[in-house]
Amino acid sequence: MAKEVFMPKLSSTMEVGTLLQWLKEEGDPVEIGEPLFEIMTDKINIEVESYEEGVFLKKYYQVDDEIPVNAVIGYVGEENEEVPNEPPELADEEEPSEAGESAKEDEQPAAEQPVESATDKVRATPAARRVAWENNIELSSVSGSGPKSRVHEQDVIKAIDTNRATPLAEKIAADKGVDLSQIQGSGARGKVEKADVTGYAAAQTEPREEPERVKLKGLRKAVADKMLESTQSIPHVTLTSEIDMSQVIDVRKSLLPVIEKQTGYRLSYTEIIIKATAHVLGNHPKVNASLVGDEIVMNKDVNIGLAVAVENGLIVPSVPNADKKGLAELTEASKTLGLKARDGKLSPDEMSGSTFSISNLGMYAVDGFTPIINPPETAILGVGRIVEKPVIVDGSVEVRPMMVLSLSFDHRAIDGAPAAAFLTELKDRLENPYGLLV
Amino acid sequence: MREITYSEAVREAMEQEMRKNDDVFILGEDIGVYGGAFGVTRGMIEEFGPERVRNTPISESGISGAAVGSALTGMRPIVELQFSDFITIAMDQMVNQAAKMRYMYGGKATVPMVLRTPSGSGTGAAAQHSQSLEAWVAHVPGLKVVQPSTAYDAKGLLKAAMDDDNPVVFYEHKVLYKTKSDVPEDQYSIPLGEADIKREGTDVTIVATAVMVHRALEAAEELEKEGISVEVVDPRTIVPLDEETIVQSVSKTGRVVVVHEAVKRGGVGGEIASMIAESDAFDYLDAPIQRLGALPVPVPYNPDLEKASVPQVPDIVQSVKKTLNKA
Repeated sequence: MAKEVFMPKLSSTMEVGTLLQWLKEEGDPVEIGEPLFEIMTDKINIEVESYEEGVFLKKYYQVDDEIPVNAVIGYVGEENEEVPNEPPELADEEEPSEAGESAKEDEQPAAEQPVESATDKVRATPAARRVAWENNIELSSVSGSGPKSRVHEQDVIKAIDTNRATPLAEKIAADKGVDLSQIQGSGARGKVEKADVTGYAAAQTEPREEPERVKLKGLRKAVADKMLESTQSIPHVTLTSEIDMSQVIDVRKSLLPVIEKQTGYRLSYTEIIIKATAHVLGNHPKVNASLVGDEIVMNKDVNIGLAVAVENGLIVPSVPNADKKGLAELTEASKTLGLKARDGKLSPDEMSGSTFSISNLGMYAVDGFTPIINPPETAILGVGRIVEKPVIVDGSVEVRPMMVLSLSFDHRAIDGAPAAAFLTELKDRLENPYGLLV
Repeated sequence: MREITYSEAVREAMEQEMRKNDDVFILGEDIGVYGGAFGVTRGMIEEFGPERVRNTPISESGISGAAVGSALTGMRPIVELQFSDFITIAMDQMVNQAAKMRYMYGGKATVPMVLRTPSGSGTGAAAQHSQSLEAWVAHVPGLKVVQPSTAYDAKGLLKAAMDDDNPVVFYEHKVLYKTKSDVPEDQYSIPLGEADIKREGTDVTIVATAVMVHRALEAAEELEKEGISVEVVDPRTIVPLDEETIVQSVSKTGRVVVVHEAVKRGGVGGEIASMIAESDAFDYLDAPIQRLGALPVPVPYNPDLEKASVPQVPDIVQSVKKTLNKA
């Protein structure tokens, strides 16, 4: 009786094999163990050997054919024996029946399987399974001490102790004399990793104080959400530019007493920067825009948001129509808003409507930073400290008060060039503040 | 307390009950002056007379039928069959009559009888006089099945069997008749369906019946020398079966060997093993359940072959080690 030659299933994931070459032709004599053909699976190329002795009677497939596993691809039998002209159909392609499986195994003795079958279920006692389940242990990772590698309860318990740490963590634990079973693992399935061991060892030697935990709520939560939304949804680009503040300082010096007399508030650099920014924004409507949905809204008003640090958060009151206000008016407005913000007395109107924001960290030892845009605005200006630096002026080194401006913009709404043009004009305006009068 | 033999304990249980209760009488072959095939009733006819210790013709069907009939009229008969092998002849009376009456008459009739009969091999009595057929009767609803392993258990269980309003098949073991243990002089009753832990242990449970209890205890002694702690559970009654005690023991040890003298195929051990596999103890099993029983052959007459056909101490030791992967 002619014996079928099957496409072998060489791994749990193998569904088809590609015929690379026939190593026997029809009519060739075949010995047991002689290679019949070569196939390619999703993992390997392999020569498939004959399990029968006789004459190679029939080959049903061509090189490069993709052949489902368990399909009959040829016959080995006695010379001139009759075999079907077409390959027999697969009994059940989806799920080979139990009987089919075992028949197949008969055809292919396990010892000759070239690839170890990964589909074998783990042989484990009920008690081993229970303990493994209780401790989140993968049974296949446990080596069984019983007959046919059967996993017993004791094997799992041993595995819990040994298998729950990475080799590196184990080594470190041994070096430091740390008991691994005492350590809570942070890795997958509670696996103890290097950091767990070192952390545990450090904690053993140094008394550790419990950190204070504060619930994320109220303003802190609002800030957190807004910052996350901004950084996650807006592609930020930050440009920086250094400004010579000599003339701004002069302007402030001369106007401070005047404005203080008029309003009772002291003029600060912030107001001059607001003034200059608002003025320049008038020439750069793209930077004064809001991105709302799929529309870029070119705002006609120039409302400057001022980032104010308050206890437990950050709020941004808005100075409306800043481009139309003089420095006295701006000083009064920004000082009043700042006070209200710190006292928590801002009205909702005062906290909304800004079209561009300024964040000033100049009172700290900060030069430049990457401010986060206050949506739906498309840009924000970060203001650093004024610091005296050596600067080359007309070929000679001079000491000048310098300040870094950091402009973050939404690259969805604006490109680098217009943003750079805005920052350049702003630099020019601050270095030559009399231009504001033009 | 004094020590008496298993057969003395059985006799004492009957005598004490017969002195108290005139409805109790015993009938069987040669149980009078001869004292029965194993001498259990020796002396009883002198005390109770031939009315209450009745010799019968050689007809197990007739003896058991008479017992069923008298039990229905309110007597509490005790049948003695010379060898439990002959229960095959009493089978129709026991299975189709005794076991069914109470059920079929809706409880209006009861059959309060005890059928005492010696079972087991080990005496060179050959294939027709050496069997352990308890699985046959255990299969029939309506019959209770008792297998005492010690004199103490025999006396207490026989009292419970005589008090029971249902037919009870009471298997005595031939080679245990001469074994002794401490037995109280007063009457006492051991409830049917209460297993006894004959030895406590932690590594493996052996569930053993009748003579196998003693072999299991011997095996446990040997295994202890190797550091293996064996618990021996004696169910004492096959029907009803104390499942709880067995399940608890197996849940504790995680390993179990079930051993009986009856042929393994179709034996009660299969029932016990299945019960364990179905129970909560399943999740605690750490090795396949082992069953030991006789080989599927008629009990040989040749003493060596007779021994070889049923589980012996080394077989039990081997099985226990197998559950521990030490075989």
